Amino acid sequence: MLTISLTHYVVLSALLFSIGLFGVLTKRNAVAVLICIEIMLNAVNINLVAFSKYITPIDFTGQIFSLFVITVAAAEVGIGLAIIIAIYRNKLSVNLDDFDWLKW
Amino acid sequence: MPADMFALTLPFDPSALTLEMLMAGLAMLVLILGIIVPKGARHGLGWVSLLGILGIMAVAVSLWGEKRELLNGMYLLDNYALFWKITFMTAAALVILGCMRFVDNMGNQAEYYSLTLFATLGMMVMASAGDFITFYLGLELMTLSFVILVCFRKTDAKSVEAGIKYLLLAGMSSAVLLYGLTLIYGLTGSITILEIGRIIAMQPLSPALVLAVVLVIAGLGFKVSAVPFHMWSPDVYEGAPTPVTAYLAVGSKAASFAIILRLFVSGLPGIWENWAMVMAILAAVTIIVGNLVAIPQTNIKRMLAYSSIAQAGYILVGLVTATEAGIKGVMFYCFLYVFATMAAFVVATYYYNVSGSDELRDYAGLAQRSPLLAAVMLVALLSMAGIPPLAGFAGKFYLFSSIVGDFLWLVFVGLIMSMVSVYYYLRVALVMYRDDPVDATPISVSSPVAVTLVFATIATLVIGICPGPLSEVVNGAAHTFFLH
Amino acid sequence: MSDWAGVFIFFVVALIFGAGGIATSFLIQPRRDTPLKLEPYECGMPTQGSTWIQFKTGYFLYALLFVIFDVETIYLYAWAVKFQSLGLFAFIEMIIFVFILIVGLWYAWKEGALEWQ
Repeated sequence: MLTISLTHYVVLSALLFSIGLFGVLTKRNAVAVLICIEIMLNAVNINLVAFSKYITPIDFTGQIFSLFVITVAAAEVGIGLAIIIAIYRNKLSVNLDDFDWLKW
Repeated sequence: MPADMFALTLPFDPSALTLEMLMAGLAMLVLILGIIVPKGARHGLGWVSLLGILGIMAVAVSLWGEKRELLNGMYLLDNYALFWKITFMTAAALVILGCMRFVDNMGNQAEYYSLTLFATLGMMVMASAGDFITFYLGLELMTLSFVILVCFRKTDAKSVEAGIKYLLLAGMSSAVLLYGLTLIYGLTGSITILEIGRIIAMQPLSPALVLAVVLVIAGLGFKVSAVPFHMWSPDVYEGAPTPVTAYLAVGSKAASFAIILRLFVSGLPGIWENWAMVMAILAAVTIIVGNLVAIPQTNIKRMLAYSSIAQAGYILVGLVTATEAGIKGVMFYCFLYVFATMAAFVVATYYYNVSGSDELRDYAGLAQRSPLLAAVMLVALLSMAGIPPLAGFAGKFYLFSSIVGDFLWLVFVGLIMSMVSVYYYLRVALVMYRDDPVDATPISVSSPVAVTLVFATIATLVIGICPGPLSEVVNGAAHTFFLH
Repeated sequence: MSDWAGVFIFFVVALIFGAGGIATSFLIQPRRDTPLKLEPYECGMPTQGSTWIQFKTGYFLYALLFVIFDVETIYLYAWAVKFQSLGLFAFIEMIIFVFILIVGLWYAWKEGALEWQ
């Protein structure tokens, strides 16, 4: 009988985090990078909720922390998309492929 | 839990949050005034914010000596936190007073000032943070406010590009940092820094903890632009409006150091021998690269950006030993760094308003056009280089004297690179004093700017000549750090 | 290790099942391509113009405002569940919280973020 333990959650979260980090470092598109950052933050949330359930089952520290992470992530995406709209208006283009000057 | 338990009693004493509530109220007030007040009268918002900050600083001074813990160490109010809060508010006051005309030219003062105040609020929360949630919220409030400020000139492609770069890299570094923090939470079962310190001291070192600490160092390294993680800062500093660059260089860096000290010295002292060497190498690389890359720069903002990377390296030195002397050095250096950097950037802002250029060659003959601007710039740069009797010398002395025993090689690196830095700082002085101006019309300096510059210069000189009183204050503040 | 073997066998079977279906249909299907067959939808309205159209950035602004006000719900929800035991203090805190958000909405309104341009 296979039971889901803390390890499974941690491995899942580590994989998700690595996928996100890989995307951030390789993607050239600002929106795609933003999405990858969200993936990393979701990996963090999985970690938090799993640790909250298995390590501190009495107080909900991790779950409360993850609520704050979700909020901040939403604010971050809001600002990111607002900046991207400002860029569209500057360049009078809605085509994301024009974003290729974002290199570092 | 019985229903009437919380009926009218407060779960904690909100008076410990006075400063933060006042600052949040002030920022909201400025935002609301921006809607109500007609467009022509909005330049007064700068004065409202300035007076508000000075008032809150007075409250902060009156709270000196308080020592409280809220919600089981979630929020710490002690002299250490108060010292940092006063530092941040000093920087905010100087940047608002010095750059009012620049902001009036950009327009939309309400948003600018309220975002500056929200960024200050974020820093103040960081200084008091006792657990990861408070820390993270303060950090993100500061970072996101700065992102909007960086791309404030939303029709200027450079400013907007700097904004999106800062947002994406800051977002990534926060995610890396958070992942490290969650691993620490998973390993210790606590997110309170002081409790983590106690638990880690009793546990054997696990590889997962090493991974967590590496991730935390990488995430925070981004925030202070320590060298392998510094790539964002020159681009962002160059693209952002100059007052924002000034505040970003001073405020976000000082706030990050405030929390780094809290996290590493009171949270992870149990594994000190594992991270001390990493910090020392990080500091050495940051000092070397920052100073060497600053030499060929031709844009004054970019040069100051690399110089501030080097300064971050000097400040990291104070962290290596995790002792009271090191903490004192960091606090002392950050405080005087506020004045020197603000002075240099306010001169750059003012000169940009006059000439429309940030290029170093356009500073030719500044001494003939405005002796005040040139003199202030000179004092600020020499203080950053650490020439006695200016404040920077005293600061570097305290920082490096804390590591003489164990890390003598780092002292030598610091000394040699300080000498190298004199070269590029003096190059600016040479351009200002030796070369002849293309356009010799004198520049008249408006009185708020003159007050800012003179105040910052006098502070740099006074701290340099008699560092004793400030050193006493910092000693007291650093001492409360260990009392929790 | 036997637990993991189950997962592995499941994975392999799933892979064979999925790939096998596609491969079989690829091998035995009759190929008669007519223009009608190459349409994305075999029935219904013929598509008009390119599918990669540009749409107004105005939609984004609404989406942004929605996201920001949507997230407040996670706090309101947590508070509403425990409303009985949290009492007056939390109620006042929540009013302040909502007030701050209303100031933000007010500002967005005054700045014209809700106007359809």
